[in-house]
This record gives sequence, structure tokens and C-alpha cells, in this order.
Amino acid sequence: MKTLSTTAALTGNSRREATNPAAATGRHYWRGLDELAATPEFRQFLEREFPEGASEMTDEVSRRHFVKIMSASFLLAGVGLAGSGCRKPEDKIMPFGKAAENYVHGTSQYFATAMPTRGGAIPLLAKSYEGRPVKLEGNPLFPGGNGGTDRYAQASILNLYDPDRATRFARRDAGGVLRATSRQAALDALAELARQFAANQGEGVALLAERTHSPSRRRLHQLIAETLPKARWFLHDAIDAEVHQRAATKAFGKSVKPAFHFDKARAILSLDCDFIGAEEDSHNNIRRFAQGRRIGKPTDTMSRLYAVESLFTLTGASADHRLRVPASSVIQVAQSIALELGVPAAAKAPIVTEWITECAKDLKASGSAALVVAGNRQPLAVHLLAHAINNALGSVGNTVQLLEAPGRISGDLPELADALNTGRVETLAIIGANPFHCAPADLNWAAAQRKAKTVIRLGHSEDETAAHCDWHFPLAHYLESWGDARTSDGTLVAIQPLIAPLFGGLTDLEFLARLCGLAETNPIRIVRETFAALIGSASDATWNKFLHDGFAPTTAAKTVSATLDSSAAVEALASATPANPGKTSLEVVLYRDAKLDDGRHANNGWLQEFPDPITKIVWDNAVLVSRKTARELDVVNGDVVEISLGSAKIEGPIWTQPGMADYSLGLALGYGRTAAGRVGSGVGFNAYPLLTTKSGHIATGATVRKTRRKYTIACTQDHWSMEGRAIVREGNLDQFAKHPDFAERMNAPEAPVEAPMYPNPFDEAKKTALHQWGMSIDLSACVGCGTCVLACQSENNIPIVGKDQVKRGREMHWMRIDRYYASNPAKRQFGQTFRKEESQQFDEWIDDVQAVNQPMLCQHCEAAPCENVCPVNATVHDHEGLNVMVYNRCVGTRYCSNNCPYKVRRFNYLDYHKRPLSELKGPFYASPITHRTGGEWDLLRWWKDQDSGMRADDEWDLIRMIKNPEVTVRMRGVMEKCTYCVQRIEGAKIAQKVKAGASGDVVVPDGTIQTACQQACPAGAIVFGNVADPESRVSKLKQQQRDYSVLEFLATKPRTTYLARVRNPNPAMPDYTAWPLSFGEFERENGEVNFGSRHGHEPAAEKGGH
Amino acid sequence: MSAIFPKWTNRLPLMIIIGGGLLATGVTAGVWYYFTPKYVRVGYQPIQPVAFSHATHNGQLGIDCRYCHSMVEKSWFSNIPSSSTCMNCHNQVLKDDPRLALVRESAASGQPIPWVQIHRMPDFVYFNHSVHVNRGISCVECHGQINQMEEVYHAQPLSMSFCLDCHRDPAAKIRPPEKITDLNWKWSDDPAVAAQQQKAQGQKFVHDWRVESLQNCSACHR
Repeated sequence: MKTLSTTAALTGNSRREATNPAAATGRHYWRGLDELAATPEFRQFLEREFPEGASEMTDEVSRRHFVKIMSASFLLAGVGLAGSGCRKPEDKIMPFGKAAENYVHGTSQYFATAMPTRGGAIPLLAKSYEGRPVKLEGNPLFPGGNGGTDRYAQASILNLYDPDRATRFARRDAGGVLRATSRQAALDALAELARQFAANQGEGVALLAERTHSPSRRRLHQLIAETLPKARWFLHDAIDAEVHQRAATKAFGKSVKPAFHFDKARAILSLDCDFIGAEEDSHNNIRRFAQGRRIGKPTDTMSRLYAVESLFTLTGASADHRLRVPASSVIQVAQSIALELGVPAAAKAPIVTEWITECAKDLKASGSAALVVAGNRQPLAVHLLAHAINNALGSVGNTVQLLEAPGRISGDLPELADALNTGRVETLAIIGANPFHCAPADLNWAAAQRKAKTVIRLGHSEDETAAHCDWHFPLAHYLESWGDARTSDGTLVAIQPLIAPLFGGLTDLEFLARLCGLAETNPIRIVRETFAALIGSASDATWNKFLHDGFAPTTAAKTVSATLDSSAAVEALASATPANPGKTSLEVVLYRDAKLDDGRHANNGWLQEFPDPITKIVWDNAVLVSRKTARELDVVNGDVVEISLGSAKIEGPIWTQPGMADYSLGLALGYGRTAAGRVGSGVGFNAYPLLTTKSGHIATGATVRKTRRKYTIACTQDHWSMEGRAIVREGNLDQFAKHPDFAERMNAPEAPVEAPMYPNPFDEAKKTALHQWGMSIDLSACVGCGTCVLACQSENNIPIVGKDQVKRGREMHWMRIDRYYASNPAKRQFGQTFRKEESQQFDEWIDDVQAVNQPMLCQHCEAAPCENVCPVNATVHDHEGLNVMVYNRCVGTRYCSNNCPYKVRRFNYLDYHKRPLSELKGPFYASPITHRTGGEWDLLRWWKDQDSGMRADDEWDLIRMIKNPEVTVRMRGVMEKCTYCVQRIEGAKIAQKVKAGASGDVVVPDGTIQTACQQACPAGAIVFGNVADPESRVSKLKQQQRDYSVLEFLATKPRTTYLARVRNPNPAMPDYTAWPLSFGEFERENGEVNFGSRHGHEPAAEKGGH
Repeated sequence: MSAIFPKWTNRLPLMIIIGGGLLATGVTAGVWYYFTPKYVRVGYQPIQPVAFSHATHNGQLGIDCRYCHSMVEKSWFSNIPSSSTCMNCHNQVLKDDPRLALVRESAASGQPIPWVQIHRMPDFVYFNHSVHVNRGISCVECHGQINQMEEVYHAQPLSMSFCLDCHRDPAAKIRPPEKITDLNWKWSDDPAVAAQQQKAQGQKFVHDWRVESLQNCSACHR
């Protein structure tokens, strides 16, 4: 493990340490030392002249002014040249004093670790460069795993380098403000508390933490229960992921939790369960689900997914049949389905529709291969009913495995609030949680917390809760911590630090041990003791293997069999009353945000700027409503409305969401933070005031009042329809069996081939190349979760640009997920290409839609349109088929972007890396001649300090540490785009050549190179490799008949091709259509697809193709 | 009307054109020569904190380059040895020499010796040592006769055209891998024979080892 201090010792070429002419070592210019060189101005010029960040035109200048300043620089350059000899700055190389073992400077090291989550942990492999972690990947060794992760794991590395983290030990002064204190003073205070606790056995001590699955934490909990028997523990999570375990425990009468095997299931019914998106452990769910849906040959089978939900979720987008009902009515649907299957369900008002009857029939037909899952925001009764149905179908033990799970040993937040209010808590220790933001409104947390005499907190940042604590301790990030965890299947995984705590933070284990006066406070020893006890071996070899692999094999939880207590469901259902939301009694659905989780990632710019997988909104949440609801409430997108629920009132902007249930308001939690930091404070609106302990995440009886205000929402995809074009091609399974070439049949009529005027130079070049790179993306496997987007951002140093810039269409993601809606073509008017995007929200067709997702990135066209138009040859082909972007040639004409039919090129309009978000406003930087900052003329400010308007030092120092050293950090005025992770390709080629030495074994074996997106994809939808090798995986996929190119009629010959999506609808269902709706739209616009002859596209051409 | 301008001013436009032309040519030629790495970088020889002589260690004593630059075959970066590497010998040899005070101090304290960087690639160039030295390109091609340098200086321009010269014709420089660190090695003492051998053997190596003469942007710029 390298720490920061050794990092700094390796190279001394940083911007700030660049030159020191007064260094004792002396300097010796080969053309003689000039006195001028020692002046501060000249040194500044030298520093700035050298194209280190190549950032120099970024100071507070407009384009015009830039020219003036540059001419001044050239004059100065002339002076410099004439006087001194133009030298580069003198840099130092700082090798180790004592060599470090097993360290090769310039190569990356990988360490296994894990990210703790509510549902368990995600095993990771962290890449460390010069002692700092720079990229996280899923641990490919982990049993059953494929190296995939989720969005939060990919982005969590940015939290480590968050400049707004808690960086100090702080104590509240008499004035109520947190003031920094020394680490030692803080630890002494902990020790003093520990002595007090020991004296009275922990009387009046309450510990509030977030849920983890750490065996060490659990062991400490038990140790503390022995030493301080009167101390009480409480757990709080705004998102209740534990409901699955509670339900299973209640239903089966044993302490168990369910594990859902979507891969084994043939028919899946989701009862408001967004297992692909908002549920815990979604990456495993996606992996299993994709496994059950994977098809290669037309004869293959796949699972079928029914979704019953109110919000349009990723699960709904992947579903073959989707029923939109208000979330509060899901219980009725569940009861009705149970009745159809003969499961006692105490249904008072069963809904008998064809949808439900046929769905139930299909579940019954699938028998033990059926799977019913209930979502975590649904009441316990729905979960119990789902278990009862699964039990009746015989799927318990097959698609639903019951795993042994340790029972609950802590209280919950309402109990803590009660204890506080009755004065039973003297000292409250909060570990990680942020109840000031997340606690249910009816607990009146602020008042309750004040009743404790001392509040001491260990937190990631000085947030809303920190402001009301007496002591605040910085929490170590998991990449700085020793720890352990159990994954969702119970396997023990190691959490090992990649770097020493940047700000001296404590892990939760150390904090607890110190606070409660345990003998052992060193977290690594705590973890090792736990490990030794669990594994039964304290040997170094076992421990080292555990750290190396990242997990302890065969520690997974045991599967147990249990019999269902059928009365549990009936009992719970007896008290359930169906709610009927309507215009004056709307339903509120509070959901876990796909980006900020419960608000913990609010200061993570990558996640803030990640477009929501369904709404594609960035930097905001919105009040999601259906078209009908919006019409009845007389609101349009962007109208700010006031939502009243009981005594609580909140305000937020309206966003019409296709496929939403009527009279349901979807509100994402986690926004509206007031003390998140520079990135997250004041983004969106806070929906927590509507959360109460009684109603939970689904509440009814809300009313909406329109205010007169408007609010602008930044959305990265404002057009919803493909307009009948064959961008995403879809077929149904039965049709695919009959017409396996349907995707190819959707090709546009080929244009008559004319001999090109010039030969493509690439055709010659590729004859001599060792590899030809290509990619295949399986749209059947892709669920649109967006993990790839964040992996790409992390790997390729992609900056964030802020809401204002996204609104201007300047987001920088090299990879995006396009989400299109398709509707029944009979229901909609076509040929209205020139309608405004805003008017879509009024169209009836958006009520019942199918959604498709398509990852879109540079297609690496063999005949790339971008290349022809570049005046400076900054984008060219290499001989292996990469469309390469040469940053140092680019002059920023943006012609390439204009000529790219896939719109995948991104331009650095402003200096996104070096400027803080507050500076990234408007089309240009404000002119320094007319603009003032803080009352000071900007030009003067610039003259005094050329770094003014740049990121603050504390921000920059941390943010630069996350940059991937193998990828150029692009400056303003440069075009960029997906490179197929050229750094990984070149790295693998070099490694192969090094291995080959004096031999010709230089072809990189298939599977060696994984692009960042491919690596992160939990579904395994993306495959990259050598298309010149017919045996490579990517070649085999491209040989499938589902393979097609987007916009193939442009003859760009993309290297990225897609495998058409296949749906598996049930012909008996009322909403069954022989082909997916998007195919219907296509036929409506292009004429019927002829499957008769080999030249089937010709008749279509007559009816007017593209 | 009397002449406002004297008669010689009639020639002024011509003088301006010719003078301007000369000036422009001069500036262009000046920039062309003086602003290029060939002029700016070759010969750069800063004073190092320790007067380490490659000529003594490598030239006279014959210590292989890779004894100190031990990671050159594994990493893009050819490491500068740690002070403890120096002490492997110097705790026996010249134990108390005052010239080695800094080295001894550094090895004892762990504080690095601030060597002055001589060869430097711009940040947008991703040069990799390992792939060159493992595939028959000797240190001498880029660093010059380091084995004869008392104090290291910048021997080659290391400009893009310098890289491309070799990348366009690797056969002219490639040599048997075991001779990589033998900076005095030649195919033959007779220049004519050496050139002929280089051509024949070079082409054979390029063919047998499937050496790609990479001239694509992606080879060095990412």
C-alpha cells in the first residue's frame, strides 16, 4: 500500500512544484544562465509556456481578448528568446531513497477490495497507479460474477477525491459552529466518553448507524453488548432494502432472506419491483436476468418478464408485458393474481382482467420456473403474497432460494426517536447516517436529536446532520479502510485500503472500538480477528490469499428449506385497504434515485451529470406524472407545482413521463440537499418531507397546486420517438424463429454502387495490420442501466460540465444510452417531423409505450464521415480500424461533429477540467474587460493571479489524483470521442510484444482487451475484439443473423454493430402484437417488410423508404 | 502642385515588399532552426546533484544498464535507481567518499535525490521503453553513447520526426536483443560491412518478429 507521501516522492513534475531556480543543486543552462530567468515573471511565463496541461488559453478571456493576450505572450516569448535561450522548465526526478518491494514505477497495481452496500457488498478490483486508486472494476475472480458492477460502484471512487469531504476533526464551539480541532484532541474526547460509558455500563448511550453486512461490525456489536450492556443500537436506511429479509422471515418462520434466480426463471412477474434499477444488488440481478434472456440461435428460448408498476422503470423497459397501475393498487393486482392461482389472498375487490388472467396462466404453466418478486417500497403484505404465490407455484427452492441470514439485533429510527423524546438518550453516536436529510418527516428529527446531551458523529462530509453535532469525525472512504463484508449471497469479502486516509479519517470499526473502549482499536486487527474466527485459521497464508482474491471461498450462506406459513400473508392482507388515487387524491411514490441513491452521492458530479436511465434528466429531480394526470391538473413540463400531503408541502417541477400510471406522482429522493458541498447543494428539490413512517414510500391523498413559476430542466434526450426508423431493431421470439434475418430485412434499399472517386487509404492499410478492432452490442442483453457510461467517464478522464452546459447540449459523455419509446402505430400521427419536442407531452401515444435502450458511442466507421471534413487531419484512421482523434492536432472547427451521423463527438467548449462548475456558465466565459467578480475588475484579477477563475487548490489537488494517467486530459477547444479505450488496446499490444521479444508472436489473444464499458457491463452485452480473427468472440457475434449496423444506408461501414433486440411476449395476452411496436412504426413508415424473397427490401423501397 | 513626398519614396513599395519578404524569410528560417528540438534540446547538460559518471560505471566497469535501470524491460518508464541500489556497491567501494555523501544520506533517510530530468516527452506522447528494448532497439539509438558520457547530456533531438525516422524504417536500427545494452556494439568494424549486415539482418528481424513500423497517431498519442 502506498501512501500519499511516497507518491509525492516519485516524480516532481507537478505544475506547482515545477521550478525553483534557487535550488541548492544549482542549474546550468547550456547557453548560459541569464539573470532574467530568475525573475518571477519569467518563471511564470516558463511554467505557463510549456504545454503541460495545455491549458493556457483558459484564463478569464473571451475569444477576442484571447488574441490580444496571446500576442502579448509572443512578445514576451521574443524577449525570453533573445535574452535567455528558451528553455523548458527544469524538472526533478525523485527516485526512492530505499527501493520499494515489488513496485515497478509506471505500471499499475491491482488490489481486490469491495464496496459495502445496503444489500451486501460489491467485490471490486481497484487499479492503483503511483499509489492512488484510479479505477474500479468488478472482481472477475468472484464466484459467479462476470466483473460487472453498478453505477454507484463505478462512481464511488470520485467520493474518495471529493474536495468537500470531511477533512478535519471538529468540535462545536459555544456559538454552535463546528471548529477544527486536532486529531489527538478528538481521540482523547472519544477515550473520555469511553471511560464515562464504562462507568455506567453504557446507560443512556445510543448508536445510530447505516446498515452494513460486515461481520466485524456485527462482532463489535456483540462485544459492545457485553461490555456496555445498556447501550442501544439503531439502524436507519431511507431505502428499506431489508424488507425482503423481513418478509421471508415472517413467511417462512426462520431467519432467512430470499435470493432471486432470474436466470433460472422462465416467467417473471415483478410487482413494482425494479430489480434492474432501484433494488439492491441490481448488478447481480441484471447479470442473471440477461443470462435467462440470452439467445444466439433462432431456436433458443428466453424468459418472459411481466411488470406491474406505476413509475416507468428500467424493469418496465425490459418487460415483455407491462401493466401500469398506481403503486398503491399493486396490492390489488397481486391479490387478483393470487386468486387466479388459488392462493388465499383475502382479496376484497379483485381485478379480473384478461391481462391478469393470462399472466396468472403463464405463471402457472411455468410452475417452479416462475418467479414473483415484490418491490422494496411495497408494503410487507405484497411481499408475503409474492412468497405465497412462489410457494404455490413450487418455485421456492428453485428460482427463489432461501439463504440463512443473521437476524436483526438493532432497533430502528422511530424507536430511537422515541428514546430521544423520552429523554433516555444522553449520548448519541451517529455513524455515517444523515438523518437530518433522510429521516421520515413525522419523527421531527431535528427536535428529537437535540434532546441528547452529546451528539458525536462520524461522517463522510460535514452535511446537514454535522451542523447539529457536538463532535464531527471524518469517516474514511472504503478505499481507505480495512474492513469486511458479506455479499448478497453471504460470501465473505475483504475491504482493504488502496491508500492511507487522505484526511486521517477513521473507519466505522475503529470509531466504534474507541468510542466503546474496546481493547483492540486497530481496524486491520479487528478484521483479522473476525476472519480468523469465521474461517478457523489465523495463518498468514489464508489471510494473504483472502486479500489477494478478495473473497473467502465457500463462505456463501447456506440454502435452507422452509415451509410457508400461509396465514402470515392473509393476516397482513386483512388490514390492507385498496387506495383509489384520483385527481384530488393523488398518489406519491418516493423512489430511490438512479443517481444519488438516497442523497449520499449528491456531491458526486459524475452521478449528478449521469442522465437518469429513463427520464434522461440531469442535475435535477422532477415530479413525474402521466400525460392524463398532467392534462387534468392543467400543468405542462417545467411548471412548478406545490404538492401537499397531510401537513407537508413541497414544490417541484412537472415532467410528463410516458408510461406512468395515472394519478401517480413519482418523486426521486436524495435531492434538495442544503449542505452536500459545491456540487450537490441546492440541486433539485427535497422529497423527504413527504416521507412518513406510517405511509412509507407510497402515500395517497396528495393534492397538487400549480404555482405561476416555471423551471428549466436539463434533459439529454428530448426527442422520444424513432419516427419509424430502424435505429433499434426489434423482433419477437416467435417471429425471430421464423424470420431470423429480420434485422437485415430492415436495411434500407441499397443505393446504386458508384465507384468512389478516391480509394479509401484504409483499405490498403488494413492488409498489413495484425488486428482489426470491432465491437458488438447485444440489445437483447442491454437493460440500459448506464454502468458503462460511468465506467467510461472514470476510465477516460471525462469531465462534468454542469446543468447550464448540458442544457446547451454540451455534455461530454463519450458513451450515452439512447432510450426511445415506441407506441402502437395506429394510435399516432406520423409525418410530423417538424413538431416541437415539447409537444410530445400532449400526445396520447405516450400513455402505453414500449421502451428500448441503445448504447451509442463512436461507431468507428471504416468510411468515417468525420475524417473527410477535418481540415487538419486531426481525426484519421489507424491501420487497425480505429478512428483516432489526435488532440494535439485538433484546432476545434467542429466540422467532424457536424458530419457525424451518430452524434457521438464531444467538444470542449470551455475548460471543463480546470474550471469549477460555478465558472461554467453561458456560451463563453464572461469577458474580463467588462466583468467583475467580487467587486474587482476581472482583468485586474487575472493580472494579479492567472489562476483566478480556476478550480481552488484544494479542489484541484484532489481531482487531479483521479485522472487516468494513460489518457490525455483534454483542454478547451479540442474535440474528443470514444477511442475504443485505445490506451487499453495499446497496453495489451505492448504487453504482447514484450512477451514476444525476439519472436513473431505478437497477435493479442482474444479476450485480453476489455474496453471499460465492456468490463463494467453487468449484463455482458458489450463484446470487443479482433474482427479479423474469425474465431474471436466478437466475430462470432457479428456472424449472427441479428447483427446490424445503425444507419447502414450511409455506407459508413461501422465497426460497432448491434444485435437486434428480441422480446418474448405471450400471444395470449391482450396487449400482444406479433411484432414489437417499434417494428410496427417502422413498417408504417417504410412499408411492409417482405420476408418472401432474398431481395425483400425492394417493395419497401417503392413505398418510399428513407 | 509641389511634391509632398521626395522622389525616392517611389521605390518605397518595392523596398517594403523586398524588405518584408526578407524579414519573413529570416523569421521563418530562424523559427525553423532555432525553435526545433534539434537546436533547443540537443546538448542540454544540467548539473546533477551527484556527479555520477556513466563513463566510469558502464564504460569502464561494464555494469549493465539494467543493473540500475532495472525496470526498463517492464515499464514504459525507465526508472532512475533508488539510492539503496547505489549502496549495494558503495557500502564496500568508496565507502566514505565525500562525493557520495548525498547518496548515503538518501539511502539512510529514504529522502530522494533530486536528479534533474534531461530527457522528457511531452505529456501527450506515450512513449514506452519496454516495447523498444525487448524488440531490438538499443538505448544508444535515443540516448546516444551514454557509456562515454562523464555527465549525461541530451544527445538526440527526440522530436516527432526523430521518432518517425526510425518508425518508417525499423530495419535500419533493429539489432539482436542480447546486444541492446552494449552501446559500442556494431555488426562489423568495417562500416561498409556493418551497413550491409544491418540491412540484411534488420530486414530479417523485422520480418521474423513481425515488427510493425507503426506510424499511426494512436501508436503514441492517446
